[in-house]
Amino acid sequence: MEIGLIGQPNVGKSVLFSKLTGIGAISSNYPGTTVEFQEGAVYRGGQRLNFHDLPGTYSLTGVSEDETVATRLLAEKELDVVVAVADATRLEQSMVLVFQLIELGFKVVVALNMMDVARKRCHVDITHLESILRVPIVPTVAITGEGVQDLVEVLLTAQVKPSDFKVRYDRHIEGMVENLSLEPESKTARFPARGALIKLLEGNPFFAEQFSHEFKVKVERDRDEFRRDHREEISVHINRDRYGEAGRIVKEVISNRIPPKGRADRISDLTLRPWTGIPIMLAVLAGVFLTVIFAGGFLESVLLGAYNALVGNFFIDLANAGGPFALALAKGVDLSLQAILSIVIPYIVVFYLILGLLEDTGYLPRMVILLDGIMHKMGLHGRAIIPMILGMGCNVPAILATRVMESRRERLILATITIMAVPCSAQTAVIMGTVGNYAGLLWAVAIYIILLIILLVLGRLLHKALSFEPTSLALEIPDLTWPRLRNVLWKTQVRSKDFFTVAFPLLLGGSIVLELLMEFKVLDAIVGPLSPFTLGFLGLPPVIIIALMFGILRKEMAMQLLVVLFGTSQLNSVLSNEQLFVFALIMATYMPCLSALAVMTREFGARDAAKVSLVSVALAFLLGGTAHFLFSVF
Amino acid sequence: MFPQSTLMLSEIAEEYLECIYDLTQQGSTARTSDIAAKMKVAPASVTEMVQKLAADQYLVYEKYKGASLTDEGLLIARKIKRKHRLLERFLVDVIGVRHSQSHDEACRLEHVISDESERKICQITNNPRYCPDGDPIPECEDGDCINCPGDPAVPLKDLKAGEKGLIVYLKCEDPASIRRLISMGFVPGREVTLEEHVPFGGPLLVKIGECRVALAKEYADLVLMQRSSDQRTETGKARN
Repeated sequence: MEIGLIGQPNVGKSVLFSKLTGIGAISSNYPGTTVEFQEGAVYRGGQRLNFHDLPGTYSLTGVSEDETVATRLLAEKELDVVVAVADATRLEQSMVLVFQLIELGFKVVVALNMMDVARKRCHVDITHLESILRVPIVPTVAITGEGVQDLVEVLLTAQVKPSDFKVRYDRHIEGMVENLSLEPESKTARFPARGALIKLLEGNPFFAEQFSHEFKVKVERDRDEFRRDHREEISVHINRDRYGEAGRIVKEVISNRIPPKGRADRISDLTLRPWTGIPIMLAVLAGVFLTVIFAGGFLESVLLGAYNALVGNFFIDLANAGGPFALALAKGVDLSLQAILSIVIPYIVVFYLILGLLEDTGYLPRMVILLDGIMHKMGLHGRAIIPMILGMGCNVPAILATRVMESRRERLILATITIMAVPCSAQTAVIMGTVGNYAGLLWAVAIYIILLIILLVLGRLLHKALSFEPTSLALEIPDLTWPRLRNVLWKTQVRSKDFFTVAFPLLLGGSIVLELLMEFKVLDAIVGPLSPFTLGFLGLPPVIIIALMFGILRKEMAMQLLVVLFGTSQLNSVLSNEQLFVFALIMATYMPCLSALAVMTREFGARDAAKVSLVSVALAFLLGGTAHFLFSVF
Repeated sequence: MFPQSTLMLSEIAEEYLECIYDLTQQGSTARTSDIAAKMKVAPASVTEMVQKLAADQYLVYEKYKGASLTDEGLLIARKIKRKHRLLERFLVDVIGVRHSQSHDEACRLEHVISDESERKICQITNNPRYCPDGDPIPECEDGDCINCPGDPAVPLKDLKAGEKGLIVYLKCEDPASIRRLISMGFVPGREVTLEEHVPFGGPLLVKIGECRVALAKEYADLVLMQRSSDQRTETGKARN
C-alpha cells in the first residue's frame, strides 16, 4: 500500500514518519526542515506499507517550489491513502489543506497531531469533526508516539473511501464549475472533475498541464469574467471560501478555549520584541560561540592527551622501518586521526549538539525574524541566517543548507559570504590557538571584528553587483518548546556522520599526498622562490607557505604544521604577535578547505567554485598584506 | 439613528427616479408612456408623480418630450441602483438566494437599507462591478475602496502594534506574492492582529487565526485591512 504523508510545515510530519517507519528523518522546530522527500517501507499485518514523506505545504495552490513538488508527488505516486497530518493547535489552516485533498478525490485519513498541546488549550470534538469531514481522524502525539499504532490500525483495517464532503463555494464559482464540467474535455484520468476544475480555476500550474489549450482558453474567460464582476482574483475568492468553511467547522468542534498565556509565551514574546530580543539574540550567539571554544578546547586537550598516551608515536615508529614512502603514509594517517580528534569531535560535534538544542526550541526562526531587515540590506533573505550559523560549525552543511534560499543567486551570495566571512569551527580553533592563545584575546577579537566588516561589505557589494531583490519573508513562528535529548543526539549523530564518510577519506588521501610531497622535498622547492611574497609582502617566515598549502586541505592542519615546521609548540618564541595576527587573519578568510570545495563544486559547478576560491585567496592575502603594511608603518 | 441619503424620499418616488434612470441610459429623455409601461401603472399617475418630482427639482419635465434627471435626481437614482445591484450580488453569491428571486427581493430592500449597510455589503462582496445579470453597478461616490469613508482600507503595515483588523482586499500586483499570501492564510474576511514591527526594515509580526506569522513589508503592503472599530470582534472568521 502506498501512503503519502502531507501537512503544513512544522506540523511534525517528519517525526511521525520516523515513528511510522523507524527511518530517521531530521526534524526541527522550524518550518521547512524537509527539503527533500523521503520514502520508507514497513511490514505490518502481512502488508507492505510504503510511506512517502512529502515536503511541508500550506496548500496545493502550487506557488512555491514545495507546493509544486507536493502536488506533483501527490498526483504521480499513485497513492492508495493520503495521511493528512493536521495540527490540532492550528486547526483552521490544517482544514484548508484537508479540504483540497478531499476535493481531489484522495482517500484521506487525518492524523490530528500535537494533541498534547491542544488538550491544554481547548477541547476538540473529534467525533463531530469526523462526522463533518466524513474521513477517519486519529488523534496523535508524534513526539511521544501516542496514536501512531492507532493510525497504522486504521490504515490496515479501515476501508477508507473518498469523502463526499464539499466546500460550498460562491455561487458564481459553483456555476462556472458546473458549466465547465458539462464539457467532455473537463475529464482528467485521475481526478474528479470538480476538484480538477477548481484547481484549474485557481491557476495551479500542474493541473493546467492536464487540459487542452482550447479548454484552458474557456477557463481563462471565466477567470476574467470573475475578475471583472468581483474585482477579485478567483483564486483569492476560492481560498476565502475555504477559510470561511474552516472557520465555521473549527467553531463547531472546538470548545472551552483557554487563551494560552503561560510562561513559555511570555518568554516567546521577549525573544521577539526588539528591545529584549536583540540582547537575547546576542547572548545566545555569544553563548554558542563561547561554549564551542571552551567546551571544544577542553575536549580537544583531553582527547589529544589520550591519543598521545595510547597511540603516541606508534605510526611513526612503525613507518620508520619501511622507508620514506611508508613514513609519508603513516604521517598522513596519524595527522588525519589527530585532526578528527582535535577538530571534528570536540568542535564540530559540540557545535551540532548546541545547534540541535537551538533548533528544537524553535528559537532559530526568531533570529531569522529579528535579522531579516539587516539581511535584506545585504541582499539576503532573513532565512540566510540559518546556513550562516551552520557555517560556524562547518561550511559543508552550511553550503548544503543554502538550499532553503529560493534562487540560485541568493544561494551563491550566501555560500560565498559564509565561506569567506563566517569562521568555521576549524578556523575558530586556528584563531584561538594562535593569536588568541599567544598574543591575547583582544587580538582574536580584532579578527572577528574584521570578519564582521567583511561580511557586511561583501554582502552589500555582491548585492549591488548581482542587482536583484531578495524574496521577502513570510514565515510562521513556531511556539517555543523544550528540546528533546533523544532528537538532539540523533541529529548530531546524523550530521557528524558526514565527516567520517565524506571528509575523512578526503583528508586522509590529501594528507598522504602532501606528506609525500614534503618527504621528497617537493614543497621545499617553493619556499625559496615564494619568499619575496611571504617575507616581503606578508612579513612571515618563508617556510610558513607550507602551512598555508596545508590549510587548503584542512584549516586546522595549518596550525598543526606550524608546530611541525618550527619544531616547537611555543609559537610565540618564533613568531611575533603581529605575525601570528597576520597568519590567523589569512586563515580566517582563506579559501574553502577541500571538503567545502567539493561540496561547492557539486552544488554550484566547478566554475563558480573556482571563482569563489580565487577571490577568497586573493582577499586573504590582500588582508594579510595590508595588516603587515599597517604594522610596519605604525 | 442610521444615517440616510441626504433627503428622505418616498419609496415610490425613488422607484420613479430609478426607472427614469434606466430609461435615460441611452441619453434621451424618458417619455411618460414608457415610464408607465415599465412601472406598470396608469399614465395619469405617472404625469402626476413626474410633475411633483419636477417641482422638487429632481427632474426636468417637458411636455411631449419627457423627463430627464437633474444632477440631484441622478445622484439619488444612482445610489438606489447601486444598492439594488449590490444587494442582488449579495443575495445570490453570499447567502445563496435563487437568481430568479433575487431581483424582486432587492427591489424591496434597496429602499430600506442604510448607507452604512450598503458599504458593508460592498466590502463583503469586494466592491463588485457587475450584478448577477451582468449590468454594471454604479460606482460609489468615493471612487475607490482605499478612501472608503466608512472604514478606509489601510495596508496591513499601517496598523499600529496591538491593532486588529479584517482583511478586505488583496492587491493583485504580482500573482506569485498573492498566492504566497493565500497559502499562508491571508485571505479577505480573516482577522489579523498586528503584534509588532521589527525595526531596521524587519518584518511585521502578526497573528492570523491560530498562527503567528512574520510577514515582510513587501507582502504587508498588498494586504488591505479594515481596522476593527472595536476590539471585541470575535476571532477571525471569514464570511459566508
